[in-house]
Amino acid sequence: MAYQFDWSLVVSGQYGDWIVDGLVTTLKVSAISTVFSLALGTLVCVMRMSRVRPLVWFSLAFTEFFRNTPLLVQIFFWYFGSAAVLPESWNQWLYKQDFEFAAGVIALTVYTAAFIAEDLRSGIFAIPKTQLEASRACGLSFMQAMGYVILPQAFRIIIPPLISQFLNLIKNSSLVMTIGVMDLTYMARQIESYTFHGFESFTVATLIYLAISLVVSATIQVYNTRVLRMGR
Amino acid sequence: MKRLAAALSAILVLAMCVSPAFAGKLDDIKKKGVLVAGVKDSQPPFGYVDEQSKQIVGFEIDLMNALATKLGVKLEIKPVTSSTRIPMLTQGDIDIVAATMTHSRERDKTIDYSITYFLSQQKLLVKKSSGLTSIKDFAGKKIGSAKGSTSEQNAKKAQPAATIVSFETYPEAFLALKQGKVDAVTTDDAILLGIKNKDDKPEDYDLVGEAISAEPYGLGMVENDSKFRDAVNFALMEMWTTGEYQKIYDKWFGKDTKFYIPLTWTMELWP
Repeated sequence: MAYQFDWSLVVSGQYGDWIVDGLVTTLKVSAISTVFSLALGTLVCVMRMSRVRPLVWFSLAFTEFFRNTPLLVQIFFWYFGSAAVLPESWNQWLYKQDFEFAAGVIALTVYTAAFIAEDLRSGIFAIPKTQLEASRACGLSFMQAMGYVILPQAFRIIIPPLISQFLNLIKNSSLVMTIGVMDLTYMARQIESYTFHGFESFTVATLIYLAISLVVSATIQVYNTRVLRMGR
Repeated sequence: MKRLAAALSAILVLAMCVSPAFAGKLDDIKKKGVLVAGVKDSQPPFGYVDEQSKQIVGFEIDLMNALATKLGVKLEIKPVTSSTRIPMLTQGDIDIVAATMTHSRERDKTIDYSITYFLSQQKLLVKKSSGLTSIKDFAGKKIGSAKGSTSEQNAKKAQPAATIVSFETYPEAFLALKQGKVDAVTTDDAILLGIKNKDDKPEDYDLVGEAISAEPYGLGMVENDSKFRDAVNFALMEMWTTGEYQKIYDKWFGKDTKFYIPLTWTMELWP
């Protein structure tokens, strides 16, 4: 009567392949979203630091809105909401593509970017204000001062919180399964529904997430201590 | 890492061992005087919350009621979802699962099933205006389904050139169909009828296609308790032969209902 464990089921054969497929999708979603969110987060932060009022307002609204609404709602918004916002012909074209994947990436990117922007802002505040003033006095434009002087230092400071954001992104990526992206969690669920061996499939999925997170965090940490901190 | 994995699996094994001592479910139920059945609460007409009475009603609830009466006990229902029904059953929170659960060989390895109490067929729900009528038309198209169902693989098998997109629940899959994100929603015909008839304009949608697969529903019970399984099977057969089953069926799937599906199959009756 007790539950019979069957680990071979999830690590080999057809269901093992499902797990691998799911893992690849999870890594793809996470990697693409990480790159985009870092870029978007930086952009939003720089806008916030600029003196141009509309840009400041926009970035403020962006951060507060996307930081303070549930990610799941945002995923549904990007996926189901496009129909109301975009022209019908665009939608028709979009739906023919891998729109599920795209909507998932957009949602994760925008959500994480809002957090990264705030982290980066606090990193910038940790750098003496006089540096910006000095750079401007040297004749650098605002963008040049940001790009050459402020941001490179700020990024070093915020590496620990940035790691957290990346790890959150990887874990949050499991939510994209709600719009039909076949990621790792999705596959674990699918195996559960086909075989009713949920304990095995979810344990394997959990261990894989744990492994990815540990690898990512260790890699950045090593990069941080060995490479970036050398000159300090 | 290794220690962590060991600790994790130890917790899991412990959790599994806590399941109640094995005394035979049938005796347990008779002693308690209650049959606890796990049913769906959002799957008309199998099990759903009635808008007026706020009670969970449906075909499977009536069937469970009849079963409880046959066993001489009272019925208690607990709502389950596709993902909670098996853990709840193996942990002993519920005695039996009646939740539109397709019987498959793979699933039978984990739990035991009763004989088939409802035979559904998997079909396609499409927009009438789309002109799609057969699974053959779906090469290069997107088909939506819901997770926790067996429809995804079946559809993939019937039309390898289609993309299957699985959603969290059927209402979301239907919304995707409405918006044109998918070209069809596929699952069991009885469930599709439920979705279609809940819409404001049911006439805009059509159930089409040859049956992609047969979906025999069975009642789920814990593995290796043949006494209880026998009692349930015999009760089901008795309901069929006495006409009690037909009565319950007609109430939910008969000609006058929104979910009309003719009763075309016969229950497996042991001599």
